[in-house]
Amino acid sequence: MNRSQFVVAAVLALVLAGCASGPKLSEVSSSIPPLRVDEGRVFFYRSNSMLGAAIQPTVYMDGKEVGSSKPGGFFFVDAKPGNHEVATSTEVEKKLTFTLERGQTRYVRTTISMGILAGRVQPELVDEAEGRKELAEMSYIGKPLAR
Amino acid sequence: MTRIACAFACFLLAACAPEVVRRDSALMLPSTVAYYTVASPLSVRLDSGYSRTLAAGVRLADAGMIPEGRVLKPVSTVFTVEGTHQHEAYLVERSGRLVGFYLPVERAFSPLSESVPIQLQGESQK
Repeated sequence: MNRSQFVVAAVLALVLAGCASGPKLSEVSSSIPPLRVDEGRVFFYRSNSMLGAAIQPTVYMDGKEVGSSKPGGFFFVDAKPGNHEVATSTEVEKKLTFTLERGQTRYVRTTISMGILAGRVQPELVDEAEGRKELAEMSYIGKPLAR
Repeated sequence: MTRIACAFACFLLAACAPEVVRRDSALMLPSTVAYYTVASPLSVRLDSGYSRTLAAGVRLADAGMIPEGRVLKPVSTVFTVEGTHQHEAYLVERSGRLVGFYLPVERAFSPLSESVPIQLQGESQK
């Protein structure tokens, strides 16, 4: 392997290491607990783009760490109905505010955009049809699920 | 050196969208909920520079009244407004025009600089 091939291989390995690996939604759906009657559910995911793959900020919900934004990864959080705020922080903090109703499922996608010194990861609210469709391609990166 | 610093500062400022302009507004809930559909597609440009489109056929629920107009909550899709941050938003209609947005989390009204016509079709009660 010459020097340029080594550099390409090293970059590829770095990018791949940045992508989420884990079971797909269809493989874990039976292990995802049913939603409690007094709560709603929020799915978080990030599309599997190589752009800014190494930038994987922590995702906060209502000031509490709930996971990280990894390309191709998803996780979920069950929460009380009411107002909620999701935040990610890279070179700047980006927030999303939304409501959650009892029994409702919402989808929050994190996307990367160009920043000044680094990429910015922004949370955005996605409608159910789009969220469900995109989630099917993602890998589960949340807390271990009971089998 | 000063010029470079000024140019960099301008670049930094230009890269940041302004926060969504809003003011507190009290929502009065409706006694009964009526449903509507958007009759023709609607495009608006927000003061923050972002634009939003609402497709024809989007279903809206009457969510109440604020002093600025009638609040309509999208129920078949999600709708947000965006500046520095993104906020879930409901539409505010007055006299057949979209005059701004109600931010349910912030309990605030965000006005449009220029209102746009909005065509709504009422759904018959079932």
